[in-house]
Amino acid sequence: MARVFVSSVIDAPAAKVWERVRDFNGLPRWHPRIRDSRIENGEPSDRIGCVRDFHLQNGDRIREKLLGLSDYDMFCTYAILESPMPLTNYVANLRLTPVTDGERTFAEWTAEFDCEPEVAEDLVNGIGTNVFQGGFDALKRHFGSR
Amino acid sequence: MVKIVKSTVLEAPVEAVWEVLRDFNGHDRWHPAVADSQIERGQPFDRVGCVRRFHLADGSELREQLLTLSDMDMAFSYCLLDTPVPLLNYVAHVRLTPVTDGDLTFWEWQSRFDTPAGEEAALAAMVGEGIYETGFAAVRRHMGLAARAADA
Repeated sequence: MARVFVSSVIDAPAAKVWERVRDFNGLPRWHPRIRDSRIENGEPSDRIGCVRDFHLQNGDRIREKLLGLSDYDMFCTYAILESPMPLTNYVANLRLTPVTDGERTFAEWTAEFDCEPEVAEDLVNGIGTNVFQGGFDALKRHFGSR
Repeated sequence: MVKIVKSTVLEAPVEAVWEVLRDFNGHDRWHPAVADSQIERGQPFDRVGCVRRFHLADGSELREQLLTLSDMDMAFSYCLLDTPVPLLNYVAHVRLTPVTDGDLTFWEWQSRFDTPAGEEAALAAMVGEGIYETGFAAVRRHMGLAARAADA
């Protein structure tokens, strides 16, 4: 089991950051590596079990299923159904927590998956840097930093 | 039931902050409200179930029991056994999480408790500000970190 953990502090209230990331179909609006996205079967993007079908800027196609979404705890959990990456059993969680001594947000993005041992390091680094940190960097640019 | 959640970001690696906080008997070295502290029955401070008996500056005595300690999650929880203040069923949780894109630490301190009717707001302020936020500023000082503007 390989594990990715990336976290950051975003200079905006958690409710504002959540508003930007909660839409399971909204990646192209805030994540620079995602080109387009749609929810299969015309379902609402906050219906648990819905599937997003999206493309990265490099053309790779990924399908992911929404497993959990909480507006109260501000987290989203999803699994990969289909991707060009050599991994299985991929489950990820994006979670926001308010930093109470300022109008800031602690953001955590984790993933666990199975893969062949020789590709684990590349996958962990690639997902951690390009997807998770890339997303946080985009949020930090959007909300600015002090 | 009152619920308090306070959190901050410290400009220090999580391992360094955890070294300070995991010592269940070490709060008298950094928290200004705590005058002295000892673990009862000579037990080690990282033995789950141990009890710390400590005094505040005004002389009042409190006893708290360690319920959980995890070096893996960098978290611990504890409850109040005896206190002169009417905090009932008080259970608190402390957790540190690394901020990986800056080598910083996210520190969350929360609790739930019951109080006599009418005392909720005063006791919530005492716990949230008097203990937790004061504790954040105290650990910053203890570790030689810059104070937040609000604490300066």
